[in-house]
Amino acid sequence: METNYLLPNKYKKLGWILFILGILGGVFIYVIGFDPTEYLKMNVLSFYHDPYIGEPTFFKIIENGVLDELISIFIILGGLLVGFTKEKIEDEFIYKLRKDSLVWALIVNYSILMITILFVFDLAFFHVLMFNMFTPLLFFVIRFTTLKSKYLRNEE
Amino acid sequence: MKNRLKVQRAMHDLTQAGLAEKIGVTRQSINAIEKGKYVPSTVLALKIAKLFNESVENIFTLEDDD
Repeated sequence: METNYLLPNKYKKLGWILFILGILGGVFIYVIGFDPTEYLKMNVLSFYHDPYIGEPTFFKIIENGVLDELISIFIILGGLLVGFTKEKIEDEFIYKLRKDSLVWALIVNYSILMITILFVFDLAFFHVLMFNMFTPLLFFVIRFTTLKSKYLRNEE
Repeated sequence: MKNRLKVQRAMHDLTQAGLAEKIGVTRQSINAIEKGKYVPSTVLALKIAKLFNESVENIFTLEDDD
């Protein structure tokens, strides 16, 4: 069975580590209420920068706390690696479970997003958007992992 | 689609894991096929039939609603 877009299984463990560290870090700074832009400050290249005071600029070096960038990249890269590396044994049924989980995750994610668009407003909706950067991957990984273990049960 | 995979497996004294290993798929696949939750590809059906030395129709048969 030909399987496209999948990386070798050896990257899956790295994926789980990044994904879990990223989520724990993200939840932690969210709950504690840290301002992540205040941590790990360094000079970064900004493609487009629109400061509160002054004119927008393109391709400028600015100072920025990169903690939130790191956490976001950990979650996204980790989630992609978990979902799109081969299983130890990769076969047509696992590939189907992966695709079904993706469809399920997108439908669930956008259904929830539609509800929040209609009933959540202002700054609260900004929080929704923040979570929504990660929920499609999160729902997908949870669904895929659950389905795989579901079909391992009930032998004989 | 109905299948007699579980029967064939019992006749050859194979566990789900044993059968999965012999044809190079996951145990999830065998489990799902036996439960009728997954219709295998033609290639996989042929591999299973070949292993049991049966024709595909002896293991997999169409149902009325297929």
